[in-house]
Amino acid sequence: MSTITRTLSNLRKIGLKNYIIQMVYIGDTKAGRLVGEDRAGNKYFENNEELPLRTRWVEYKKHDYDAAQIEPGWHAWMSYGVDKSPTEDPLLRTGGNKWDLPKATPNFTATSGNYITYNTTKPKLTSWEPKAVERQ
Amino acid sequence: MLHSLRPAASMALRAKPAASSLVRIAPRAIAAAPISTSSRKDAASALTPQGTSVLPRREVPLPSQEGTKSVVQYALTTLDVIVNWARQSSLWPMTFGLACCAVEMMHLSTPRYDQDRLGIIFRASPRQSDVMIVAGTLTNKMAPALRQVYDQMPEPRWVISMGSCANGGGYYHYSYSVVRGCDRIVPVDVYVPGCPPTSEALMYGIFQLQRKMRNTKITRMWYRK
Repeated sequence: MSTITRTLSNLRKIGLKNYIIQMVYIGDTKAGRLVGEDRAGNKYFENNEELPLRTRWVEYKKHDYDAAQIEPGWHAWMSYGVDKSPTEDPLLRTGGNKWDLPKATPNFTATSGNYITYNTTKPKLTSWEPKAVERQ
Repeated sequence: MLHSLRPAASMALRAKPAASSLVRIAPRAIAAAPISTSSRKDAASALTPQGTSVLPRREVPLPSQEGTKSVVQYALTTLDVIVNWARQSSLWPMTFGLACCAVEMMHLSTPRYDQDRLGIIFRASPRQSDVMIVAGTLTNKMAPALRQVYDQMPEPRWVISMGSCANGGGYYHYSYSVVRGCDRIVPVDVYVPGCPPTSEALMYGIFQLQRKMRNTKITRMWYRK
Protein backbone atom coordinates (compact mmCIF):
# COMPACT_ATOMS: atom_id res chain seq x y z
CA MET A 1 0.00 0.00 0.00
CA SER A 2 1.44 3.28 -0.97
CA THR A 3 -0.30 6.27 0.54
CA ILE A 4 0.90 9.84 0.61
CA THR A 5 1.44 9.73 4.37
CA ARG A 6 3.45 6.51 4.11
CA THR A 7 5.59 7.90 1.30
CA LEU A 8 6.21 11.13 3.21
CA SER A 9 7.08 9.39 6.45
CA ASN A 10 9.44 7.01 4.67
CA LEU A 11 10.95 9.94 2.78
CA ARG A 12 11.61 11.66 6.12
CA LYS A 13 13.34 8.53 7.40
CA ILE A 14 15.57 7.74 4.42
CA GLY A 15 16.33 11.17 2.97
CA LEU A 16 15.96 12.61 -0.50
CA LYS A 17 18.94 10.86 -2.09
CA ASN A 18 17.78 7.39 -1.10
CA TYR A 19 14.26 8.32 -2.15
CA ILE A 20 15.42 9.04 -5.72
CA ILE A 21 17.54 5.88 -5.82
CA GLN A 22 14.61 3.78 -4.62
CA MET A 23 12.21 5.33 -7.11
CA VAL A 24 14.61 4.48 -9.93
CA TYR A 25 15.28 0.88 -8.89
CA ILE A 26 12.36 -0.27 -6.76
CA GLY A 27 9.62 2.16 -7.76
CA ASP A 28 8.50 2.53 -4.15
CA THR A 29 9.63 4.33 -1.03
CA LYS A 30 10.69 1.93 1.68
CA ALA A 31 12.32 2.43 5.03
CA GLY A 32 13.65 -0.41 7.11
CA ARG A 33 16.40 -1.94 9.15
CA LEU A 34 19.66 -2.70 7.34
CA VAL A 35 20.04 -6.42 7.99
CA GLY A 36 23.32 -6.98 6.27
CA GLU A 37 25.48 -6.77 3.23
CA ASP A 38 26.85 -9.59 1.11
CA ARG A 39 30.29 -9.93 -0.43
CA ALA A 40 29.24 -8.18 -3.64
CA GLY A 41 28.00 -5.16 -1.70
CA ASN A 42 24.25 -5.68 -2.10
CA LYS A 43 22.37 -4.32 0.90
CA TYR A 44 19.48 -6.19 2.46
CA PHE A 45 16.68 -4.54 4.41
CA GLU A 46 13.78 -5.67 6.50
CA ASN A 47 10.71 -3.96 7.82
CA ASN A 48 8.04 -6.19 9.27
CA GLU A 49 5.49 -3.37 9.35
CA GLU A 50 5.09 -3.72 5.58
CA LEU A 51 2.56 -5.94 3.86
CA PRO A 52 3.31 -9.67 3.84
CA LEU A 53 5.90 -10.70 1.18
CA ARG A 54 7.09 -7.12 0.87
CA THR A 55 8.96 -7.04 4.16
CA ARG A 56 12.40 -7.94 2.83
CA TRP A 57 14.14 -6.24 -0.05
CA VAL A 58 17.54 -5.65 -1.56
CA GLU A 59 19.43 -2.65 -2.84
CA TYR A 60 21.76 -3.82 -5.56
CA LYS A 61 25.30 -2.62 -5.80
CA LYS A 62 25.46 -2.62 -9.59
CA HIS A 63 23.41 -0.47 -11.91
CA ASP A 64 22.80 -3.42 -14.25
CA TYR A 65 21.19 -5.38 -11.49
CA ASP A 66 19.94 -8.93 -11.66
CA ALA A 67 18.52 -11.33 -9.09
CA ALA A 68 21.33 -13.77 -9.90
CA GLN A 69 23.76 -11.43 -8.15
CA ILE A 70 22.20 -12.34 -4.79
CA GLU A 71 24.20 -14.92 -2.86
CA PRO A 72 22.59 -18.27 -2.02
CA GLY A 73 22.11 -17.71 1.70
CA TRP A 74 20.68 -14.27 1.17
CA HIS A 75 18.45 -15.65 -1.58
CA ALA A 76 17.00 -18.13 0.90
CA TRP A 77 16.37 -15.30 3.33
CA MET A 78 14.90 -13.03 0.64
CA SER A 79 12.50 -15.77 -0.51
CA TYR A 80 11.32 -16.33 3.08
CA GLY A 81 12.90 -19.78 3.11
CA VAL A 82 14.65 -19.12 6.44
CA ASP A 83 13.93 -16.90 9.42
CA LYS A 84 17.48 -15.95 10.30
CA SER A 85 19.53 -13.91 7.88
CA PRO A 86 23.13 -14.90 7.03
CA THR A 87 24.39 -12.24 9.44
CA GLU A 88 22.74 -14.15 12.30
CA ASP A 89 23.22 -17.65 10.91
CA PRO A 90 26.83 -18.51 9.98
CA LEU A 91 25.72 -21.66 8.14
CA LEU A 92 24.05 -19.55 5.45
CA ARG A 93 27.09 -17.39 4.93
CA THR A 94 29.19 -17.89 1.80
CA GLY A 95 32.89 -17.22 1.65
CA GLY A 96 34.06 -19.09 4.72
CA ASN A 97 34.67 -22.41 3.01
CA LYS A 98 37.33 -23.24 0.49
CA TRP A 99 34.78 -24.67 -1.98
CA ASP A 100 32.82 -21.44 -2.08
CA LEU A 101 32.88 -19.57 -5.36
CA PRO A 102 34.60 -16.18 -5.22
CA LYS A 103 31.35 -14.45 -6.24
CA ALA A 104 27.80 -15.32 -7.11
CA THR A 105 27.49 -16.67 -10.65
CA PRO A 106 25.84 -13.98 -12.76
CA ASN A 107 23.32 -14.61 -15.50
CA PHE A 108 25.24 -14.83 -18.76
CA THR A 109 22.19 -14.29 -20.95
CA ALA A 110 22.86 -11.92 -23.87
CA THR A 111 26.59 -11.85 -23.19
CA SER A 112 29.40 -13.69 -24.91
CA GLY A 113 29.40 -16.21 -22.07
CA ASN A 114 25.87 -17.45 -22.69
CA TYR A 115 24.96 -21.07 -23.20
CA ILE A 116 25.15 -22.41 -26.72
CA THR A 117 23.60 -25.74 -27.51
CA TYR A 118 25.82 -28.45 -28.85
CA ASN A 119 25.41 -31.97 -30.09
CA THR A 120 27.32 -34.96 -28.83
CA THR A 121 25.53 -37.67 -30.78
CA LYS A 122 26.96 -39.31 -33.83
CA PRO A 123 25.79 -37.64 -37.05
CA LYS A 124 23.25 -39.67 -38.97
CA LEU A 125 24.84 -38.93 -42.33
CA THR A 126 28.51 -39.66 -42.80
CA SER A 127 30.54 -39.33 -45.93
CA TRP A 128 32.30 -42.21 -47.55
CA GLU A 129 35.40 -41.54 -49.53
CA PRO A 130 35.92 -44.29 -52.06
CA LYS A 131 39.45 -45.53 -52.45
CA ALA A 132 39.71 -47.42 -55.67
CA VAL A 133 42.63 -49.84 -55.84
CA GLU A 134 44.25 -49.86 -59.20
CA ARG A 135 43.66 -53.13 -60.99
CA GLN A 136 46.79 -55.17 -61.41
CA MET B 1 23.23 -35.43 -51.28
CA LEU B 2 23.95 -39.11 -50.94
CA HIS B 3 21.91 -39.91 -54.02
CA SER B 4 24.12 -37.73 -56.13
CA LEU B 5 27.19 -39.33 -54.62
CA ARG B 6 26.16 -42.91 -55.17
CA PRO B 7 26.55 -43.20 -58.93
CA ALA B 8 29.87 -41.40 -58.77
CA ALA B 9 31.16 -43.67 -56.04
CA SER B 10 30.09 -46.81 -57.83
CA MET B 11 31.65 -45.48 -60.98
CA ALA B 12 34.88 -44.86 -59.14
CA LEU B 13 35.01 -48.47 -58.04
CA ARG B 14 34.43 -49.71 -61.55
CA ALA B 15 37.20 -50.76 -63.84
CA LYS B 16 39.12 -48.68 -66.35
CA PRO B 17 36.74 -48.99 -69.30
CA ALA B 18 34.39 -46.65 -67.46
CA ALA B 19 37.07 -44.02 -67.08
CA SER B 20 35.51 -41.78 -69.70
CA SER B 21 32.29 -41.55 -67.73
CA LEU B 22 34.22 -41.09 -64.49
CA VAL B 23 35.74 -37.91 -65.82
CA ARG B 24 32.34 -36.55 -66.54
CA ILE B 25 30.83 -37.30 -63.15
CA ALA B 26 33.80 -36.78 -60.87
CA PRO B 27 33.66 -32.95 -60.63
CA ARG B 28 30.09 -33.08 -59.44
CA ALA B 29 30.98 -35.62 -56.80
CA ILE B 30 33.84 -33.50 -55.48
CA ALA B 31 31.63 -30.45 -55.31
CA ALA B 32 28.95 -32.37 -53.46
CA ALA B 33 31.28 -34.02 -50.96
CA PRO B 34 32.09 -31.06 -48.65
CA ILE B 35 28.46 -29.96 -48.51
CA SER B 36 27.33 -33.33 -47.25
CA THR B 37 30.06 -33.65 -44.64
CA SER B 38 30.65 -30.16 -43.31
CA SER B 39 27.16 -29.35 -42.12
CA ARG B 40 27.71 -30.97 -38.75
CA LYS B 41 31.45 -30.81 -38.35
CA ASP B 42 33.78 -27.89 -37.95
CA ALA B 43 33.82 -25.82 -41.11
CA ALA B 44 37.58 -25.34 -41.13
CA SER B 45 38.43 -29.03 -41.03
CA ALA B 46 36.12 -29.69 -43.93
CA LEU B 47 37.56 -26.95 -46.07
CA THR B 48 41.28 -27.44 -45.56
CA PRO B 49 41.57 -30.69 -47.54
CA GLN B 50 40.14 -28.83 -50.51
CA GLY B 51 42.84 -26.21 -50.20
CA THR B 52 40.54 -23.29 -49.36
CA SER B 53 42.15 -20.66 -47.15
CA VAL B 54 40.64 -20.15 -43.68
CA LEU B 55 40.49 -16.57 -42.42
CA PRO B 56 42.06 -15.94 -38.99
CA ARG B 57 39.61 -15.46 -36.15
CA ARG B 58 38.87 -11.80 -35.45
CA GLU B 59 37.03 -10.58 -32.35
CA VAL B 60 34.43 -7.92 -33.21
CA PRO B 61 32.54 -6.22 -30.36
CA LEU B 62 28.80 -6.67 -30.39
CA PRO B 63 26.66 -3.53 -30.67
CA SER B 64 25.73 -4.13 -27.04
CA GLN B 65 29.39 -4.16 -26.00
CA GLU B 66 30.39 -0.90 -27.68
CA GLY B 67 30.96 2.06 -25.43
CA THR B 68 29.61 5.58 -25.69
CA LYS B 69 31.86 7.87 -27.71
CA SER B 70 30.61 11.25 -28.89
CA VAL B 71 28.39 13.96 -27.41
CA VAL B 72 25.52 12.99 -29.70
CA GLN B 73 25.73 9.43 -28.48
CA TYR B 74 25.57 10.56 -24.86
CA ALA B 75 22.49 12.65 -25.63
CA LEU B 76 20.85 9.76 -27.46
CA THR B 77 21.70 7.45 -24.57
CA THR B 78 19.62 9.66 -22.28
CA LEU B 79 16.81 9.59 -24.82
CA ASP B 80 17.04 5.82 -24.99
CA VAL B 81 16.93 5.54 -21.21
CA ILE B 82 13.69 7.51 -21.12
CA VAL B 83 12.08 5.45 -23.87
CA ASN B 84 13.24 2.20 -22.33
CA TRP B 85 12.00 3.25 -18.92
CA ALA B 86 8.58 3.88 -20.41
CA ARG B 87 8.63 0.55 -22.19
CA GLN B 88 9.76 -1.60 -19.30
CA SER B 89 7.52 -0.03 -16.68
CA SER B 90 4.28 -0.69 -18.50
CA LEU B 91 4.59 -4.10 -20.04
CA TRP B 92 1.28 -5.32 -21.33
CA PRO B 93 1.38 -9.00 -22.13
CA MET B 94 -0.83 -10.74 -24.62
CA THR B 95 -1.70 -13.93 -22.83
CA PHE B 96 -1.36 -16.98 -24.95
CA GLY B 97 -2.17 -19.55 -22.31
CA LEU B 98 -2.25 -22.93 -23.98
CA ALA B 99 -1.73 -25.48 -21.21
CA CYS B 100 -0.79 -25.91 -17.56
CA CYS B 101 1.87 -23.18 -17.80
CA ALA B 102 -1.01 -20.74 -18.07
CA VAL B 103 -2.00 -21.58 -14.50
CA GLU B 104 1.42 -20.45 -13.32
CA MET B 105 1.04 -17.37 -15.48
CA MET B 106 -2.25 -16.66 -13.72
CA HIS B 107 -0.49 -17.04 -10.38
CA LEU B 108 1.79 -14.23 -11.45
CA SER B 109 -1.19 -11.90 -11.60
CA THR B 110 -2.55 -12.93 -8.21
CA PRO B 111 -1.63 -11.05 -5.02
CA ARG B 112 1.29 -13.24 -4.02
CA TYR B 113 3.49 -12.17 -6.94
CA ASP B 114 1.33 -9.22 -7.93
CA GLN B 115 2.40 -8.27 -11.41
CA ASP B 116 0.35 -5.07 -11.25
CA ARG B 117 3.01 -3.44 -9.11
CA LEU B 118 5.39 -3.86 -12.07
CA GLY B 119 2.90 -2.25 -14.43
CA ILE B 120 2.06 -5.55 -16.08
CA ILE B 121 -1.56 -5.82 -17.07
CA PHE B 122 -2.88 -8.68 -19.17
CA ARG B 123 -4.54 -7.49 -22.32
CA ALA B 124 -6.90 -9.73 -24.21
CA SER B 125 -6.28 -7.82 -27.43
CA PRO B 126 -3.07 -8.30 -29.41
CA ARG B 127 -3.35 -4.82 -30.88
CA GLN B 128 -2.81 -3.20 -27.50
CA SER B 129 -0.12 -5.47 -26.10
CA ASP B 130 3.67 -5.33 -26.12
CA VAL B 131 4.76 -8.81 -25.18
CA MET B 132 3.29 -12.21 -25.87
CA ILE B 133 3.75 -14.93 -23.25
CA VAL B 134 3.44 -18.27 -25.00
CA ALA B 135 2.53 -20.50 -22.09
CA GLY B 136 2.12 -24.14 -22.91
CA THR B 137 2.20 -26.70 -25.68
CA LEU B 138 1.92 -25.19 -29.13
CA THR B 139 0.16 -27.67 -31.39
CA ASN B 140 0.23 -27.68 -35.16
CA LYS B 141 -3.39 -26.67 -35.20
CA MET B 142 -2.76 -23.67 -32.97
CA ALA B 143 0.36 -22.49 -34.78
CA PRO B 144 -1.35 -20.39 -37.50
CA ALA B 145 -3.44 -18.69 -34.82
CA LEU B 146 -0.29 -17.91 -32.83
CA ARG B 147 1.38 -16.41 -35.86
CA GLN B 148 -1.69 -14.37 -36.69
CA VAL B 149 -1.88 -12.99 -33.18
CA TYR B 150 1.80 -12.15 -33.30
CA ASP B 151 1.36 -10.37 -36.62
CA GLN B 152 -1.48 -8.31 -35.16
CA MET B 153 0.72 -6.98 -32.36
CA PRO B 154 2.18 -3.52 -32.97
CA GLU B 155 5.90 -2.85 -32.92
CA PRO B 156 7.88 -3.00 -30.69
CA ARG B 157 6.86 -6.47 -29.64
CA TRP B 158 8.51 -9.19 -27.62
CA VAL B 159 7.84 -12.85 -27.05
CA ILE B 160 8.43 -14.86 -23.89
CA SER B 161 8.44 -18.59 -24.42
CA MET B 162 7.32 -20.18 -21.19
CA GLY B 163 7.87 -23.82 -20.32
CA SER B 164 9.53 -26.80 -21.95
CA CYS B 165 6.76 -27.35 -24.47
CA ALA B 166 6.96 -23.82 -25.84
CA ASN B 167 10.75 -23.83 -25.74
CA GLY B 168 11.35 -26.98 -27.71
CA GLY B 169 8.37 -29.28 -27.68
CA GLY B 170 9.32 -30.63 -24.29
CA TYR B 171 7.42 -33.76 -23.32
CA TYR B 172 5.58 -33.76 -26.66
CA HIS B 173 8.68 -33.29 -28.79
CA TYR B 174 8.10 -36.54 -30.65
CA SER B 175 4.36 -36.13 -30.98
CA TYR B 176 2.82 -35.99 -34.42
CA SER B 177 0.78 -32.91 -33.68
CA VAL B 178 3.02 -30.59 -31.71
CA VAL B 179 5.30 -27.82 -32.92
CA ARG B 180 8.82 -28.46 -31.65
CA GLY B 181 9.24 -25.08 -30.04
CA CYS B 182 7.34 -21.89 -30.64
CA ASP B 183 10.52 -20.28 -31.99
CA ARG B 184 9.72 -22.10 -35.22
CA ILE B 185 6.68 -19.84 -35.56
CA VAL B 186 7.64 -16.54 -33.90
CA PRO B 187 10.98 -14.98 -32.87
CA VAL B 188 11.50 -15.49 -29.15
CA ASP B 189 13.26 -13.07 -26.79
CA VAL B 190 13.27 -14.93 -23.49
CA TYR B 191 13.02 -18.65 -22.86
CA VAL B 192 11.78 -19.65 -19.43
CA PRO B 193 12.72 -23.25 -18.65
CA GLY B 194 10.67 -25.56 -16.49
CA CYS B 195 7.73 -27.92 -16.70
CA PRO B 196 5.87 -25.84 -15.71
CA PRO B 197 8.08 -22.96 -14.58
CA THR B 198 7.13 -21.46 -11.25
CA SER B 199 5.62 -18.02 -11.20
CA GLU B 200 8.90 -16.81 -9.76
CA ALA B 201 10.71 -18.23 -12.79
CA LEU B 202 8.34 -16.45 -15.15
CA MET B 203 8.80 -13.26 -13.17
CA TYR B 204 12.55 -13.66 -13.47
CA GLY B 205 12.08 -14.11 -17.20
CA ILE B 206 10.12 -10.86 -17.29
CA PHE B 207 12.95 -9.20 -15.38
CA GLN B 208 15.36 -10.49 -17.99
CA LEU B 209 13.18 -9.03 -20.72
CA GLN B 210 13.13 -5.71 -18.87
CA ARG B 211 16.89 -5.92 -18.64
CA LYS B 212 17.02 -6.51 -22.38
CA MET B 213 14.81 -3.48 -22.93
CA ARG B 214 17.06 -1.38 -20.69
CA ASN B 215 20.04 -2.27 -22.84
CA THR B 216 18.28 -1.72 -26.18
CA LYS B 217 19.86 1.05 -28.21
CA ILE B 218 16.93 2.51 -30.12
CA THR B 219 17.99 5.95 -31.26
CA ARG B 220 21.68 5.11 -31.04
CA MET B 221 21.32 2.39 -33.63
CA TRP B 222 19.34 4.76 -35.80
CA TYR B 223 22.16 7.32 -35.43
CA ARG B 224 24.76 4.75 -36.30
CA LYS B 225 23.07 4.13 -39.63
